This record gives sequence, structure tokens and C-alpha cells, in this order.
Amino acid sequence: MNITCKDRDRVFEDRTEAEWSALESHANTCAVCAEEIAAWKDLSVTAAELRDYSENPALWQRIQRSLREESARTLERKQRTRWAALWQTVGIPWQTAAASAFALILIVGGGWFYLYRPSQDSSELLKSKALSEVERTESAYVQAIAKLDRNAQSRMENPETPLLASYREKLLVLNSAIDDLRTQAGLNPSNTHLRYQLLAMYQEKQRTLEEILEDKQ
Amino acid sequence: MGIMGLMAPWANRIGPVLHQEERRLEPFHPGATDVGAAPADTLRAEDKTLAAECRSGDLRAYERVYAMHGARMKNLARNLLGNPTDAEDAVQETFIKLQRSIGTFRGRSSFATWIFRILVNTCYDARRSRMRKKEFTVEGENEVPPEPRSPGAHPSLRLALERAVATLTRQQRNVFLLYEVEGFRHAEIAEMLAISETASKNTLFQAKKNLRQLLDAPRGSGALGAR
Repeated sequence: MNITCKDRDRVFEDRTEAEWSALESHANTCAVCAEEIAAWKDLSVTAAELRDYSENPALWQRIQRSLREESARTLERKQRTRWAALWQTVGIPWQTAAASAFALILIVGGGWFYLYRPSQDSSELLKSKALSEVERTESAYVQAIAKLDRNAQSRMENPETPLLASYREKLLVLNSAIDDLRTQAGLNPSNTHLRYQLLAMYQEKQRTLEEILEDKQ
Repeated sequence: MGIMGLMAPWANRIGPVLHQEERRLEPFHPGATDVGAAPADTLRAEDKTLAAECRSGDLRAYERVYAMHGARMKNLARNLLGNPTDAEDAVQETFIKLQRSIGTFRGRSSFATWIFRILVNTCYDARRSRMRKKEFTVEGENEVPPEPRSPGAHPSLRLALERAVATLTRQQRNVFLLYEVEGFRHAEIAEMLAISETASKNTLFQAKKNLRQLLDAPRGSGALGAR
């Protein structure tokens, strides 16, 4: 085989045994090729400088730990997706049937609830019942006091004595207090403390009106 | 003074005897022995067994993989990433990726080829993320000091070569390190890097040509010394 300097790069790039032998034979008579071949080979040997296979015993321990952690994570993920996977193993007709059954249960359940749902919450019902009873009684009581008030009205418009004038002042204060309490009770109808205070005011007004009427007789 | 000048004091170490000790089978090294000298069918069967054991979650199988390839993996990662800490992280990450994707190994390529392909990709991912990180940190702040090498290695020669290799293109660097340093064959490199065998040979030729130019350049010119 005849190899010349021109073939050198081609042989370096993709050589056969015969071509390489021929190039080396040629290098015996060609100083340039001899130097090139030596440099080419030396580069391969120099590459060995980049080899360092020293061991780090801790590395495998680290890898082993991370592999264990990864296995645990994978297992956890698998368990999480097991139900979804189980669903996927069921055939399409069965999936359709199950979905239809579920939809049917939802519709029937919803219809039943709509038809037989309780009209109101029972505790709410009791609460509103008690409240309306209180309000009814209060209204009757207010009407009775209003009757007394009308009877005492003529004396209160023109008080003849200082005592009547004082009663008049007291009634004005009581009426004002009653108005305030009624406003507050209107905002918070279930507040029993307010109701009791209102009752006390009504009772005081009743007593005052009775005293005015007794004084008249 | 270039590569030859640089290597002149080491002439005794790089004599012809060493050439014959190369473990890869090359047409021009009749005495050399191939690492993968076992018949291909036997190797494939062994790979499949090992892969099946790994797939079953047997950590001893992974340990065997580490015993077989760990040192070479770490060395390649160190040469690609430049420091031992990142290299160990890359090897660890490669094993995790191996565990995650072992189900996809079909045995079309050798197990080693497959693992090194994952490693090379992991190293480049790490390089990319390091580049991004570097944008936010002051230069040299997190620099890892070089790990002491084996006593036989000559620091200036290794450093010069490391710097020269770092200037190669990604593909040239990969092929050079896999072929010349790790001793893989072109067929294996072609599988790892998803290129043709011819492309692998051509890339190696270009890489060595560039390295020769870099290492041959006079030191005064700054081609290597200034890097």
C-alpha cells in the first residue's frame, strides 16, 4: 500500500491496520510524518492524565440513601394513583354504566331531598314561636297601659299641683326610655335582657299612671 | 514550545510501551485487549439480567452497576464539570434517573452505553444550571478547590490539558473524553451521543487537531498559558 504525506490526516481520522502500518513505514523515511505520528500518539497518552479513578467510599452510601428515598417516594406516588389506575383497568362499557348509575343516584337523591326537605329548622321554629308570644303579650300590655294613659291625659295636660307636674315629668322620662328600649329590642328581638328592662319600664309607667288616677279620685 | 515541549520531560512516560498498554482494541495495536472482549450476545444477556434486577428494585444490582462503572462515571463527570463535588452530585443524580427510567431500558444498546448517555446529559444539565447560578453570584465566590489527584499525575500537564479540553466544542469534548480518557469505542460513543460512528471518528480527529494546535502554541503567545 502506497501512503504519502497527503494521506496522513485521512489515516489519522479513520484508519485501518494496513493503512496505519503503511503510514508508519512511510514515517521511517519522512521526518515530518514521524513527528506528526509521535505527536498524535502522545496526545492519546497525555489524555491518561485526565484519568483519576480514586475511590470515595462515602459516595455509594450517599447514592444508596438517595435511591432508597426515591423508592419510598415512588411507592407513595403509586399508592396515591392506585385507585385511578384501578378505574382505568375497568372497561369503557363498565365505566359508562358506573357513571350512569352515579348520575341516576344523584338525580333520585336530589329529587327526594327537594320533595321531602324540612320546611325550616326546628330550633329556629321554636325560637320564632317564643318571640312572637312575647311580642303578642307585650302588645296587649302596651294597649292596656295606653288606656290608662288616655284616662290620665286630661290631668297631665294642665297639672294643677306640683305633684302632678312631677308625675308628668316622670312620665316623659319613662316614655323616652321606653322608646329607646323598643328601638333596641327591634334591632335585637331575642335579647331577653332588653325585654326585661322594657317590662320594668312598662310596669313603672303603669304604677305611675295608677297613682295619678288614684290621686284624681 | 508546544505540546511536544510541554511533554518533553515526560518522554519516558509516554514511550511506545505505554501505547501497547491501551486497553481499547485498535487496528494498529495488535497486542491490546478489548475491555468488552466477551461475545456481544453474552454481554447483552448480562445487561438484561442486570437491568431486570435493577427494575425489581434490588439495591445490590445498583451497587454492582456502581462497582462496574462508578469510578469511570465520576471521572468523566469531573472532566466535564471541572470539580469533584459537582461530579459526585452528577453521578448520584444519574443513579436516581437510572432508577426512575429503568423501565424504559429495552436492551437495544448496552447497559453501560445507556448509563453514560444519562450521565453526559446530566452533566450538561448541571453545567447549564451552574451557568445560570453564576449569573447571580460573584465570580469565584463558590469556587471549589481542585481535588488532589493521584500522585502519578503531573499537575501542569493535566492543567494544560484540562484547559485545552475546556475550549473544545461540546461534541469534541465528549468524544475526546469518552474515547481517549474513558476508553470507549467509536461504536459505543456513537450510541451514547446519538451520532454515527463516522461522525464520532471525525469529531475525535477534529478534537485532537484542535488540542494539538492549542498545546503546540508557543507559551509566549498566550494561547494556552493565558487561559
